[in-house]
Amino acid sequence: MDNQADTSSIKNIKAMDQSHNLDQWQVLSPVAILYFGVSVFKHLFSNIIYLIPAIVVSYNSVLERPFIWLPAILLAFVLLILFAFVSFKVYRYRLTDDNIEIRSGIFSKKHLNLPFSRVQNVKIEQPIYYRFSGHACLQLDTAGSAKNEAKLVAIKLDFAQQLKTRIQSQSQHNKVDINQENTSAEPSELQSESANSQSQQEIVLNRRHLSDLVIHGITSNRIWIFLGGLAPFYNKIVDSVGEWLTDLGINLTELFSLQTHSLLEVALYALSLTMLIMLLLVSFSVIGAIISFYGYTLSKQDDKYIRRSGLFTKHEVSMSLSRLQMVVQKQDWLDVLLKRINLNFEQSNSFSKNLNSSASSSKIIVPSIKPHECQTLIDDAYPGNALNTLVSKNAFTAISKRFIFRNIVYILMPLWLIVTSVTVINDKLMLAVLASTVFLGLCGLVVLRWKRWGIARDKGFVYLRKGLIGVDYYCFPTYKLQQIQFQQNLLMKRRQLASVKFILASGSLKVPMISEELAYGLIDQGLYQVESSQKSWM
Amino acid sequence: MPESNFSNPIVATDQLPTILNLEHNSLSEKYAPLNRLINLSVTLVICVIVLVVYFQPFVALPQGLHSFLPYFIWAVAFLGLLLTWFTHARDHVKSYTLRELDLHYTSGLFFRKVVSQPITRIQHIELKRGPFERKVGLARLQVFSAGGEMHTFEIPGLPVEKAQQLRQFILQHRDVVKHG
Repeated sequence: MDNQADTSSIKNIKAMDQSHNLDQWQVLSPVAILYFGVSVFKHLFSNIIYLIPAIVVSYNSVLERPFIWLPAILLAFVLLILFAFVSFKVYRYRLTDDNIEIRSGIFSKKHLNLPFSRVQNVKIEQPIYYRFSGHACLQLDTAGSAKNEAKLVAIKLDFAQQLKTRIQSQSQHNKVDINQENTSAEPSELQSESANSQSQQEIVLNRRHLSDLVIHGITSNRIWIFLGGLAPFYNKIVDSVGEWLTDLGINLTELFSLQTHSLLEVALYALSLTMLIMLLLVSFSVIGAIISFYGYTLSKQDDKYIRRSGLFTKHEVSMSLSRLQMVVQKQDWLDVLLKRINLNFEQSNSFSKNLNSSASSSKIIVPSIKPHECQTLIDDAYPGNALNTLVSKNAFTAISKRFIFRNIVYILMPLWLIVTSVTVINDKLMLAVLASTVFLGLCGLVVLRWKRWGIARDKGFVYLRKGLIGVDYYCFPTYKLQQIQFQQNLLMKRRQLASVKFILASGSLKVPMISEELAYGLIDQGLYQVESSQKSWM
Repeated sequence: MPESNFSNPIVATDQLPTILNLEHNSLSEKYAPLNRLINLSVTLVICVIVLVVYFQPFVALPQGLHSFLPYFIWAVAFLGLLLTWFTHARDHVKSYTLRELDLHYTSGLFFRKVVSQPITRIQHIELKRGPFERKVGLARLQVFSAGGEMHTFEIPGLPVEKAQQLRQFILQHRDVVKHG
């Protein structure tokens, strides 16, 4: 397989040389029509959520008058194909030595000119329908706005790989030039860079097997989002399921009626029914995880991390280590039980503004790994970090206990008092009891939340722990900070407490209610590191 | 920076410059009165509009609305005055500090906030001037970092010359020249 790829890539180098000698505008392969069609289709469907109420309302009228609606749908389909075809027709790209130009757009023409040295991120994406023809999409992200990105929609896969290495070597060169003055500060990095220019092989850092993905599917809570989305249809679903069950000879009302069955029986029925639904939903979630993470590999080439995954659409995301802003180690409550960790390598937000689905975002996620694997990965990315020892020794500085007091007394207590007094006045004791139970539960959660909060720092890094039932660890090099905020209200000032908000290119992190002294220390040290290190954040 | 000149002495953490004792520069003297005036006029305009609606003879209002309007005017007037007073008090505690390597902006009456922006992380700067600000010669300095739009560092109510000086200082700063 590799040999084959090599020989074909040699051919492609020639092809590429030709193309850039000719320096002509290139036309895409006709497979691109499919891509344009599908992307418009997807776009429509992602917006259709807003139309769902309208569709539901007009559902019956659609059924009544198929002679209007069928042609309409057909027409829409034809328009879609036409649009895809024209998009393909107007799309042109041109490559020169160090820059790429793309002309596209039907109504509003776009002409994009992107020097390779400005490229932040190179992504290769292979949708399932491209796999037969061996094509792929190459997406180039820039540091600027998300609109500025370039996408070569249908080029041969090996050509895409070629182009990727070329672009990345170009931006690498640039970086070395810039970094020259910092070399004495980071001799090791330069060494590795020069060493790597000789050896370009990839090292696979981590693979995910199917079993891991199943675990990831079970533990990730994406299913609740799905449930939320279904909420408007609950009534309908319950009705139709009920009808269906009645057809099968099962009568729900009879099954759950307390007159014919004992309480225990009904409870058992309800439990088994819930379990059944849960099982169904979990299997959906597992399928989702497998679709996005099938064949997951995380590998390292030079100082770049490369993530490949996907069952239908294969994604390849690469990120250079210097772009890494923060590592986040996430554990939900189920993850805690199963001793698995989701590790996120976060980079600047601006690259992935409108891509938030887990597979296509340029964030690198390592789903459901074991703690020791996680530690190796973090150590590999951030040598010298002490997250592991901090976690095992529990050496985080806790936040003030006032956090519990504030949340319970100033927020939960008034609400609870209002609710209970209203219910008691109206003689609804059951409701009052219920409210009190909820109140107690929430108080418990506040205490848990407090227990999870923690902060630690050492020479180069800031570590943060937070969570509720699960626990997340954040770790970032201090010099990556963009801005720091010190926040304090009058009540906190009296107790000499303060909150600190760290702003990084990947997002912000806030630590509430730590001692004023620590807060000032964190800010002063942070500013000092940013200003003295002279290291670039990207 | 040539290599031979490079030095990186260890700094003890307790000797670090601290933001605890910043020297605060207050904003332009015109800033608070301008905001006060704007708040008062907005309140007044709303009250006048409601008064006009109340007394106009052309359209008959529903009875409930008609009897409700006087209370509404009182409420608007009260809240408007309260807001004006509050903004006025708040505007007086706003201040900024420029150090050699970073910018700080302090604000907040009950919720005090100090935002610190290292100059080396600045991506670009904007001077913004609304119509009222132009009238009295004020400007807002906005500083953008990679932290995102949400975390734009802003100093309002600067005299134009001062704002331009600050901008010039940042643009010519060695950290920005190198990284920007």
